Amino acid sequence: MCDGNNNVGQDGNILLPKEVEVVEAKKVTASETHFVLKMKNGDAMDYKPGQIVEAGVLGYGEVPLGFASSPTQTEKTGTFDLVVREVGKVTKALVSLQPGDTMTMRGPLGNGFPVEEFEGNDVLIVAGGIGLCPTRSMIKYILDKRDDFKKFTLFFGSRTPAEQLFVEDLDVWRGAEDVDYKEIVDNADENWKGKVGVITQLFKELDELNPETKVIICGPPIMYKFVIAELKGFDVPDENIFVDLERRMKCGVGKCGHCQINDKYVCMDGPVFRFSEIKDLEEAI
Amino acid sequence: MSGYYIPSEGLQSFAQSLMAKMPVVAPVAKGKRFIFDQLGDVAELRLDYDTTVLPPKKVFFPPKQDLLEFDEGKATSCLDPQAKVLLGVHPYDIKAISMTDKLFSDNYADSNYLANREVAVIIGSNVQTPYERAFYGSIAQDLELVGHDAFLTKISDGYVLDVVTEKGEKLIADLGLADASAEQTSEAEGVNAKADEDCPVKLPFAAGDVSEKVRNSFKSEIWDELSKDCFSCGSCNLVCPTCYCFDVQDEWGLGASNGKRYRRWDGCLSSEFSEVSVQGGSENFRENRAERYRHRFMRKTAYLNDKLGAPACVGCGRCAGACTADIADPVNTITRIMES
Repeated sequence: MCDGNNNVGQDGNILLPKEVEVVEAKKVTASETHFVLKMKNGDAMDYKPGQIVEAGVLGYGEVPLGFASSPTQTEKTGTFDLVVREVGKVTKALVSLQPGDTMTMRGPLGNGFPVEEFEGNDVLIVAGGIGLCPTRSMIKYILDKRDDFKKFTLFFGSRTPAEQLFVEDLDVWRGAEDVDYKEIVDNADENWKGKVGVITQLFKELDELNPETKVIICGPPIMYKFVIAELKGFDVPDENIFVDLERRMKCGVGKCGHCQINDKYVCMDGPVFRFSEIKDLEEAI
Repeated sequence: MSGYYIPSEGLQSFAQSLMAKMPVVAPVAKGKRFIFDQLGDVAELRLDYDTTVLPPKKVFFPPKQDLLEFDEGKATSCLDPQAKVLLGVHPYDIKAISMTDKLFSDNYADSNYLANREVAVIIGSNVQTPYERAFYGSIAQDLELVGHDAFLTKISDGYVLDVVTEKGEKLIADLGLADASAEQTSEAEGVNAKADEDCPVKLPFAAGDVSEKVRNSFKSEIWDELSKDCFSCGSCNLVCPTCYCFDVQDEWGLGASNGKRYRRWDGCLSSEFSEVSVQGGSENFRENRAERYRHRFMRKTAYLNDKLGAPACVGCGRCAGACTADIADPVNTITRIMES
């Protein structure tokens, strides 16, 4: 869980953000922009895959986002990635930022994926739509430390081919031997030669799935229960399933109350939850 | 620490001498009701108040609080704690403050609250006129009365001031107060010992039983029935001494390069509280008023108990009085669930 006030701003004010420089800003779909970022003023960004930040623009506000890069990249280059989908006032201000501009940031926040528990095991990541962004931190981490993990399977579903994110990564993963990558779209266009349908159809292509596999699920709220039902068919225990949840998070530090599910704060106790720990919590899935 | 005696006619000069040291926030009349406000004229002090419209948490956690200022892309913290005396806080509100102290300190300590809290000196006072909807005598009984620096108890011919912290001693050290006699101290103890008996409304259930039964009723249809008249106005949230949810917003200054980020009280009863923007619209994780109404009661009776050591309700009765539809009273709702 959180380490206390290890990332607070001036005066110990947990709500005062730090400054981040936009290194690259690439519009990757009609609504999404992929940012490569670097901390300013000598600040460090030490994070775990699956952790989040509150990214913002002064005068507009902040939004919670998961790291889209692996800490292994940040160690090498000093940069990290976020993807912003334009859906409202704050995200509109964020996507207008250009290289050289300043973004504000508080974090890392939240717990992240329990990486150590995944090591030495088969891993399956099921990502729907923009759910590929936070899971990419783990995907890239696994690929950078491939020997630490056994079989690695990745499912990615998007609404249309045009809405696929990280197309350069997808090209690499399609041909890669170190990841068994499977993809599907809800609605094809004339150029799409792949599978069409919902993400759960990809489970039909699995001959087997080791019940010991550690599974990560991240996608639109509707997706979770259907994917979990498929995993039950392969006898994957609830302890091995990790869900990465989205909620409204204003403060990111377990105070403002918006993300609360029962006695859990998604921003602080999550956003990653072991399914066995929240399956009986109403309002969670 | 020590007990002092203040004769009835000496109360105003006592308050006056505090005002000479720092601002004093205390209960004063506002129309037919009472509010905590900075004392301008000591004659306004009303220690016989029943309850205040808003709880004293507003002194540390104002309804709107600046968090940071920015100009030309540079942000600075707005922390600016002002020492003050918070005088006349009833025991239920002292308990509530001890809860918000804990909640704002846990995990990530929130200096925007704590800085204001640390420079405040709290002088409690016993309830002289119980509020008709109050039930503090039968809830949060296991919670120790802590967090205040001194406590004033009305006795037959004046007040006994019990000073319980060094901060409190330091405040009154040079006021030349007389020591309370053994009889006066004993009378004050007697007054406080029977305070809960005089509380008008009783909640006749143990906290553990309430927590368990309410929690287990999560899927019950009773929430639809209980909330059917809810306007989702959030008044119950706003007057609650243990509610501490907030929204954060930015606003621009006239210069268009500068502005502020502030937080303001928010309430889980409002329809957009759990709503997020998503592609092509929004997703609301508690879309129905019954879900929101239930969330508030779960939070008051069950969710925070482990963290606080008691339910997050101190029985002030403010929500009962503030609710237009009169469906927010915890006594009525808990009783209805316990008997279902």
